[in-house]
Amino acid sequence: MNMLIIGGGQVGSYLASLLLANKHHVTVVERREEAQDLLRRSAPSAHIILGDGTDPQILESAGVRVADVVAAVTGADETNLVITSLARFAFNVPRAVARVNNPHNTWMFTPAMGVDVALNQADVMAHLIAQAVG
Amino acid sequence: MRIIILGCGRVGAGLVQHLSLHGHEITIVDSDPSGFARLAPGFHGRMIVGDVLDRQVLLEAQIERSDALVAVTTSDDVNIVVARLARLIFRVPRVVARVYDPPKAEIYHRLGIQTVTTTAWTINRISELISYSELEPIANVGDQVEIVAASAPPLLVGQPISRLTHPGESRVVAISRSGKTFLPQSGTLIEAGDLLHLVVISAALGRVAAQLRH
Repeated sequence: MNMLIIGGGQVGSYLASLLLANKHHVTVVERREEAQDLLRRSAPSAHIILGDGTDPQILESAGVRVADVVAAVTGADETNLVITSLARFAFNVPRAVARVNNPHNTWMFTPAMGVDVALNQADVMAHLIAQAVG
Repeated sequence: MRIIILGCGRVGAGLVQHLSLHGHEITIVDSDPSGFARLAPGFHGRMIVGDVLDRQVLLEAQIERSDALVAVTTSDDVNIVVARLARLIFRVPRVVARVYDPPKAEIYHRLGIQTVTTTAWTINRISELISYSELEPIANVGDQVEIVAASAPPLLVGQPISRLTHPGESRVVAISRSGKTFLPQSGTLIEAGDLLHLVVISAALGRVAAQLRH
């Protein structure tokens, strides 16, 4: 499958390496030049695009129109939501996954904002901890 | 109307002032209270310090009862996201977002968010002003009427100045020729090398510039 990841920091790089190991075709869009080293090391066969993932032209050049899944995993929640709504409603991507950075922002990650699945690290940890001690 | 304004920068504060004067009930929200210093001392609306993406903050601003919302924070992404939320979740009837990046604004416009792209507007306006460069501005009379100077284009040489008279829009009021300036009559013929002085209403500047283009 064609996976388009927006945000190539630690989360995006790791996600790219996992998906590559599962034989997916992976493209990563990352805005910061300095983050490219880590990205290249952890996901050497990913296609890397330097640019702003909220820019429709960058998304097009990253192949958003042929992507099966878009994962918005930057460190800014509003950026992730702009990406999911563009992906779903402007480019008709079948599935959009987004990272929630600030747990207070979870309420915004809804299908109306183009989000099919919201991943909230703090939430996952809290549940695991609750299970462990419960 | 009950209006929520998100972002108290120059545009946000200016909107508060303008809309308050027209009798609207304003709530302004900014994460940084120092922006509120821009508000006029007589401002009677509500000021809320908080993150504009925080649900509690939006509810405190009574987004569910508001007639309009304007998103003018410094971040395009925040403005777009909060504008969509206001439309889709809180059903605010009128929502406007300021977006700097023209391609983004275009797409969000298609997705149903009213956007104002200051960047595109500035580019268009400056290009317009530059393309009027044949018209040298001499003076403004009020804010709708300008006096401009332009050299006579070859195509109009030998023609009466009445060719440049458009009732209510423009007319030639003086001609500088061979070092002397005089007031022409409607039958005065334009000569090569003339500098024409025209009175023009602002809205007609483009048309007059086009007529004087070589």
